[in-house]
Amino acid sequence: MSYRSLLIGGVALLLILGASAGSAQECADCHEDQAKAFATNPHAKQVACAVCHGDGAAHIEGGGDTTKISVPRGFAGAETTCLTCHDRITDRRSHRMGAHANSPAVNCLSCHSIHHAEVPAALVRLPQTKLCASCHGTQAASTRNRPHPHRVVACATCHDPHARAGRENLRITAAGETVCVGCHTDKRGPYVFEHGGTALGEADCSSCHEPHGSSNPNQLKRARVAQLCLECHSPLTATTAGSQPPSFHNLNNPRYQNCTTCHVAIHGSNRSPQLLK
Amino acid sequence: MKRSLTCLSLLLLTFAASAQTVPIEIEAGYRWTDVSGNEQLYRTQIDERSGFLIRTLSFFTATKGFTDHVRVDATDLGAGPASALRIETGKAGTYRLRLGYRSFDTFNALPTFALGQHTFDRNRTMFDADLEIFPDGKITPFVGYSRGRFEGPGTTTYFLGGDEFLLGQDLDETEREIRAGASFNFGKVYGSVTQGWRSLDSDETLSLADPAGNNSGTILGRDIGASTLTRTSSISTDTPFTAAFLTGETARVRMTGSYVRFSAESDGVDDETAAGTFVSFPLSRFFSGVEGNITSRAKNTTSRGSARAEVSITDRLDFLAGYRSEHREMSGTALIDTLFKGTVNFSGLDPRDLREVVATESSLDRDVDVIEAALAARAIGPFSMRLGYSQSKFDFGIDPDLLEIVVPGNQQGTFKRTVDTLDAQASFTKSLYSLGASYRRDEADDAVLRTDYLGRDRLRVRAGYHTPGNMLRLALVAEQSRQDNREDGIGFDADARQYTADIEVSPAPPLRIRTAYTRLRADSTVVIRRPETFALDTSVHREDGDAFEIGFALAIEPLTIDVGASRFENEGTIPYNVDRYRMRLAYDFPKHAGVAAEWSRDDYAENTSLGAFEADRFGIFLRYRP
Repeated sequence: MSYRSLLIGGVALLLILGASAGSAQECADCHEDQAKAFATNPHAKQVACAVCHGDGAAHIEGGGDTTKISVPRGFAGAETTCLTCHDRITDRRSHRMGAHANSPAVNCLSCHSIHHAEVPAALVRLPQTKLCASCHGTQAASTRNRPHPHRVVACATCHDPHARAGRENLRITAAGETVCVGCHTDKRGPYVFEHGGTALGEADCSSCHEPHGSSNPNQLKRARVAQLCLECHSPLTATTAGSQPPSFHNLNNPRYQNCTTCHVAIHGSNRSPQLLK
Repeated sequence: MKRSLTCLSLLLLTFAASAQTVPIEIEAGYRWTDVSGNEQLYRTQIDERSGFLIRTLSFFTATKGFTDHVRVDATDLGAGPASALRIETGKAGTYRLRLGYRSFDTFNALPTFALGQHTFDRNRTMFDADLEIFPDGKITPFVGYSRGRFEGPGTTTYFLGGDEFLLGQDLDETEREIRAGASFNFGKVYGSVTQGWRSLDSDETLSLADPAGNNSGTILGRDIGASTLTRTSSISTDTPFTAAFLTGETARVRMTGSYVRFSAESDGVDDETAAGTFVSFPLSRFFSGVEGNITSRAKNTTSRGSARAEVSITDRLDFLAGYRSEHREMSGTALIDTLFKGTVNFSGLDPRDLREVVATESSLDRDVDVIEAALAARAIGPFSMRLGYSQSKFDFGIDPDLLEIVVPGNQQGTFKRTVDTLDAQASFTKSLYSLGASYRRDEADDAVLRTDYLGRDRLRVRAGYHTPGNMLRLALVAEQSRQDNREDGIGFDADARQYTADIEVSPAPPLRIRTAYTRLRADSTVVIRRPETFALDTSVHREDGDAFEIGFALAIEPLTIDVGASRFENEGTIPYNVDRYRMRLAYDFPKHAGVAAEWSRDDYAENTSLGAFEADRFGIFLRYRP
């Protein structure tokens, strides 16, 4: 039995088991729609309305006076509500020192909406393509406009929005490897003959590839493969790594404009020091 | 068919559940595609295909008994190219179970890449299951299992005996991972320990697809060709790993430390046979066939540790100091046994078989040490700021045999590089205005690869404005990065600029009009040496693109209209145009149901005869929300 069949069976069982009950909420007398929707909210199990909105007695006595109820908004709202529970740091995450540290410019409630989330799973206000694009317009434009975008992934597949600044906003695998090999398992190795671009580069895969989207085939950084390769493989100084292709590699011949036509194992090989297979 | 049945099953179950008044939302229907031009290019870039599709499925219910809730979220199940299904269930304080399923179609067939001979049409499926016992408790043990499979046909090339031949390729990879551990939370001290084991089995079969080879000429008067060529390759990789972090907090100081280690070990076996007419210059022989056997073993052990302290100087002023160290050791051995059959020297003498046995070893060490310090001021009036400094030291040691991609030379030795980084961010938010800027400066003392910079600057500026009630929303982003290494013999200089302006206007609440403009400009030059003449040349890469987008959304119950169009023109090294059009009409029937019709069109045109397609997709979807 395939695991796809198991999944379908699992969903069937859960749907049938699950379709049996609802829940009641405080404040529902007036806020019926919100209370109804809140039953499906991840907070519903542990957080009562008053945890975020404060004591509602005066608000109720005031006939729904909006000045007598707290509505968390912006930096202060996030600081005094969200972060009282969620302010946990790890080696890779921080809500105070991270790339999206809580501030007036960007805070929990910039991206999350407790009652009006369009993406219910993590209470995200808008789908990632719109939400992240509202600040990261240039990256979003690369993904949207280029002919070779990084298809089938969302921003948060690779980036952790709560991560620390710099390269650590990239997720890593459970074993601690770069996020790329989490999906591209066939490029993970280890290989007997590693390729220098991946082994020595500061940026690993992005030494040769544009991760968000590219004008070039296979999301490469250059239009022609030979151009990309020769930028490292021209040892005009003795201090850099990268060998010189021999002279029969005539760049006027289309065969040699595409180095990977022969050097197919460009990410690494167990069989060929020249990465030919 | 299998996918359609999957979707149909979920759909029927959804209606069964909704009959019992469960919060649920589903949109499902059928999509048709009409592609003209280079369909392979369309599939490489977009790959939306005809078929049944569950666009979204969202389901949540509170339950009684063994579980207290069930949540199901799914997107694009069916015709793909990317499908995802996520299920979460559990019982508060007792257990939490998360199941995930993702499927990606990966297709690649580019007419101008590797002479159009490197293609694949594969599917990747990934399944994850994670079970936590006593979630949110002081100690939460957990176990997890992941399985991924990457399989399907492709074509590739193989260099043998003076020519490269087109091969059919069949790849089947299966990866499994089991992990177990515990997270703990004692209030001021919390953390997590994970021990995992991962295995990867990869089987590849290659067979000759075109005996002629890419070289239509002769070598030393002989036609080079293959009559048979087969290769089988099996690699198994085992990777145990350990990951842990520990955080301790006081009122003002938070300290966290982490440790990650994995040790990946792969064993490979290859067999190959080939017959035909080939030439080998290293052997100074023609030969009529080859039999080869390769056994290999490679190991990559990587460990990384970090320690950080975050100090709250005041409620809104924080200081960070940290240290991170990574050590990677890679080593490999291979025994390559090749029998060259029926060899003839260039004079036509001494027909005989020659055996070549190569035992090779390689190794690489990589050490990276990073120290960092940062100061962050959050919400000092309307301002927030962060100032950071880090120093990264890279130390590589490479033994011979490694990296000998073409010929020996510049391939081994010790390489060191230190990068000093200063980064600063500031933002100003007042009422309806926001302004943000970030600047980063990297300075390196040496380059390891020729495209490594010695100096790099990156500047980003963002500005935003919106009126009360968001009648007008304006966002501007400008980004520039510049890097260089002007040493003699390298002459690397790269500059990239991108600007976007995004305006959204809502003259009346049901109508939103959006327009955006993006300007992209990138120039990169570096000195190279042409292999055929050894003459110096300059590698130039250029992007010069403009994108214009416009669209509107009109929502007058029960009708919603969403229309958009965009054009991107790039006059860079590869000139091309992309025109995109989108339209969606949705009509809500009273209460629970609706229907949506979609049309999208992509026109892509490069300045080559093969580099163009026009693709229309039409869809009819039914929406249901009880």
